[in-house]
Amino acid sequence: MSKKVGFLLVNKDYTLDGIRSALGLAVENMYAYAYVLNNELTDVSDYHKENIDWIRDMEGEVYTTVDANVENLGLVKTSLEEIGQQLRDLDFVIPYGIMRSDKS
Amino acid sequence: MKLLNVYRSEPNDDTKKLVEIVSEGRDAESFDLNVESPDYSALVDKVFAADQTICWW
Amino acid sequence: MAKSLGIFVTSPQNMRHVMGITTAAKAKGSKVKVFFTWYGVHLTKCKEFSSLCELADEVSICVDSYKKSGYDPADIPKGLEAKDMATQGQHGAIIEDYECYLTL
Repeated sequence: MSKKVGFLLVNKDYTLDGIRSALGLAVENMYAYAYVLNNELTDVSDYHKENIDWIRDMEGEVYTTVDANVENLGLVKTSLEEIGQQLRDLDFVIPYGIMRSDKS
Repeated sequence: MKLLNVYRSEPNDDTKKLVEIVSEGRDAESFDLNVESPDYSALVDKVFAADQTICWW
Repeated sequence: MAKSLGIFVTSPQNMRHVMGITTAAKAKGSKVKVFFTWYGVHLTKCKEFSSLCELADEVSICVDSYKKSGYDPADIPKGLEAKDMATQGQHGAIIEDYECYLTL
């Protein structure tokens, strides 16, 4: 049975690579979900947008708590509470990188 | 479901909230790596005993 | 009884934990695989890195991350071989093949 994995992405310096890493597991036949918390993505290249599309094509999803990411990139809006509930159903939870030093 | 929450740094409010939700109703334990000399042997024993380990930031 | 342990390293701050946990797990007879990605690859420049490669059963890094972090992929870190300059598939292998999983 395919494993379910979730990447928690809280630091702008790590988020786009975390999405790439999630895609890396999606292509290994896993259900890969990425959660972008409290960081607005800027300078998103076509390459990165394609990574998001590919995750969706492979039945994964990229969620965010940030309205700007919904408006600019079409990410799916979620809340901290909803993320927590989804994490309960995953086989692997991956807090990626390091915690940002502030909420900017 | 035996869950091990490992902390690499002092958890902020968001991390605490996520831990609370994922741990609810489960046999949850925690381990703090954010100390001067972590007992790595004890941590590995806990990891082996857990069904799932989450290493928070 | 010792289980196998896979460690996914995404932070450049945790070399002491990578070494400490790998040392403890090997002392208990565990099989240990470590995969470094994104800014975690900076740890290949730590003086302990070659010791880690001797201690663990398998060590590999994301070559794409290594390049994006400013290093020359031809400059293979001491302790690794060309085959260890790898892809996110190594993370997939940890999830599929190892009994226990840690993110550092």
